[in-house]
Amino acid sequence: MNELIRVENVTKQFAGHTALDNVSLEIPRGSVYGLLGPNGAGKTTLIRIINRITAPDKGQVWFNGHLLSPEDVPHIGYLPEERGLYKTMKVGEQALYFARLKGLSRAEATARLKKWFVKFGIESWWNKKVSELSKGMAQKVQFIVTVLHEPELLIFDEPFSGFDPINANLLKQEILSLRDKGATVIFSTHNMSSVEEVCDHITLINKSHNILSGSLSDIRRSHGGNIFEVDFRGSREALTAALAAAPCTLLDTSASDDEALQASAGYDALKIHIPNDEDIRSVVALINDNASLRSFREIIPSMNDIFIRAVAGNL
Amino acid sequence: MGKIAIIAGREFNERVRKKSFIITTILMPIAFVALMFVPALMMNISGDDKKEIVVVDQSGIVAEHLQPSATIEYRLSDDPVEKIAAENQSIFGILLIGSDVETNPTAVQLLTYESSTINIESEISDQISSIIESQKLKAYNIEDIDSILKAIETPISLRVKQLDQSGETKESSSILNIALAYIFGFLIYMFVFLYGNMVMQGVIEEKSNKVMEVMVSSVKPFELMMGKILGIASVAVTQFVIWVVFILVVGGAAMSLFGVNDMVAAASSAAAMDPAAMMGTEMPAMDQELLSVIKTVTDPAYLFRILGGFLVYFIGGYLLYAAMFAAVGSAVDNEKDTNNLQLPITLPLMIALFVMLSAMQDPHGPLAFWCSLIPFTSPIVMMVRLPYGVPGWELGLSIGLLIVTFVATVFLAGKIYRVGVFMYGKKPTLGELIKWSRYKY
Repeated sequence: MNELIRVENVTKQFAGHTALDNVSLEIPRGSVYGLLGPNGAGKTTLIRIINRITAPDKGQVWFNGHLLSPEDVPHIGYLPEERGLYKTMKVGEQALYFARLKGLSRAEATARLKKWFVKFGIESWWNKKVSELSKGMAQKVQFIVTVLHEPELLIFDEPFSGFDPINANLLKQEILSLRDKGATVIFSTHNMSSVEEVCDHITLINKSHNILSGSLSDIRRSHGGNIFEVDFRGSREALTAALAAAPCTLLDTSASDDEALQASAGYDALKIHIPNDEDIRSVVALINDNASLRSFREIIPSMNDIFIRAVAGNL
Repeated sequence: MGKIAIIAGREFNERVRKKSFIITTILMPIAFVALMFVPALMMNISGDDKKEIVVVDQSGIVAEHLQPSATIEYRLSDDPVEKIAAENQSIFGILLIGSDVETNPTAVQLLTYESSTINIESEISDQISSIIESQKLKAYNIEDIDSILKAIETPISLRVKQLDQSGETKESSSILNIALAYIFGFLIYMFVFLYGNMVMQGVIEEKSNKVMEVMVSSVKPFELMMGKILGIASVAVTQFVIWVVFILVVGGAAMSLFGVNDMVAAASSAAAMDPAAMMGTEMPAMDQELLSVIKTVTDPAYLFRILGGFLVYFIGGYLLYAAMFAAVGSAVDNEKDTNNLQLPITLPLMIALFVMLSAMQDPHGPLAFWCSLIPFTSPIVMMVRLPYGVPGWELGLSIGLLIVTFVATVFLAGKIYRVGVFMYGKKPTLGELIKWSRYKY
């Protein structure tokens, strides 16, 4: 059994609209799982169902091979999109309070908190009130509170909102190292660049439906359209003529600024489409015969492109 | 249970350390004492400011016997009223006594520059009537009239003793009963309202802060609700205990200061003698009343009944109402939306308060009886009846009903709370709240 969470045909309706319509997905153990979708797609509803805040109208959620039960909830750490801290409480006291509610002893919680506070460089905040913290600062505290009891499943809803790039990167590293220690992470966002950097698997939810699911590399490859870029030195015309007979088509032969720059340095570039993977070797061999090949790489579309195309329905 | 204790601990620590808690805890007894003593103090202060009244006595029998009091000074004058009025602007007024004052009760007039008070008026009329009475008595030419009058003066002070089932008598004081009934009944009303509201605000805060969302993976909503309710209850009990200790210390100090203990000792030795001897001690009426108050208050069984009853009914009533407040708090997004949902909570509380006022007149009447059994009013109404003595079965039934109801209410409120705390954006109606309580999770 490879998956930690299996969502089966879950439907959830609210008065007037359907938030989730027959959604199924599997979250592999030890992965960082991106839950993507435009605003209002149903991501948060799905998270709330996994968290047992709300119950699905139809369908089931399996956790670790059994039906999700209240006993599983302590193994979940949840960082909601909006900050949930008591404003008038001191940071340290509050973190300790949440940690103790998660079943840690006072001593254990204090030791772990100190370690995290040092790691994030926020030791001096211990006696500050939460109301004195900025949004990003509070987010750091909340992140620590979420992961402190080392749950099996971590759910982060828009974790990078309110962060500067340096702290966002710090958080990214922590998320990845938590995964490496064995945690499974669900990561809900509509910020695509962060998805590319941390996620292994994704599910794209749009208008209450799961429209795209799978491992990030598979998805990008399958939506890449087998387009390759060839950098070479030599005669462009000769190569184009040679490739005309090969099992591939040339795309976009007009040189861009970038290509013009390369041309001035003696290099040229071409984009070609190779429909069948088996033909790649022969095409490369052909290029090699007709020009001096500098690089040959697949152009992988960004998640942003895939996201926009998927939502627009043009996959 | 462990988690409820952690949550209750946080609620307690956060609230007890707040400045507002410390201030109200200190200020309330001070305000209470001030409320009792300031009027007396004010009277003393105003006593320095004596009012001067010029007396024009045409009968010639009253004026010379008028005695100055703490607030009024008299000055005799034969001048006509117009002249006095023209010459004396600083006096309080002019008292005109007609020549036929002995036969005509309306022959006395008081002309004043400012509005007079009941105290001044009754002071003057009492003096004049007793002067004329003694003048008339003198006209009968009875020998030793003064000593006879003194000998027949007999102020009566009623000592009330209550028979209990075992046939023993107990000292009972209506003034004390009314005072305690009022204080404790009102205290429960106030505490339930104040601390119940605190629960509601706390729930709303947690909901709008989204703390609930964070907590959901570690705590059951029911634990959160109970922790909050119990934590705030312990704040209330702490405050109450501080007040009781304060009152005992200050009261004890005052007692030894005014030598009340000696009085109690004297009274109990007097009580040991026969009634005839009692008469001889000539205890003034007010002291007699005070004495029975002190004897009752220092009776441990009585104290236990009142304070124990207060704690039981306060905690029971508070739990009952706090659970309802929590349910309302969970259902709304901000405090503005609570108004119509609070009605089923505030209405029975208000009714209880009104029944309490009428029960003070008739503590064993049918209205007081039934309302002291119904759990929604019993905490307040029973407190009024307790000082007068309540049969054991009534007390047991009332407490039993209260416990059953609060368990049921907490259960129901917990279900509403469970749904409510994660429901955002719409203002639910009462009907919806009831529907929520039937949701399954």
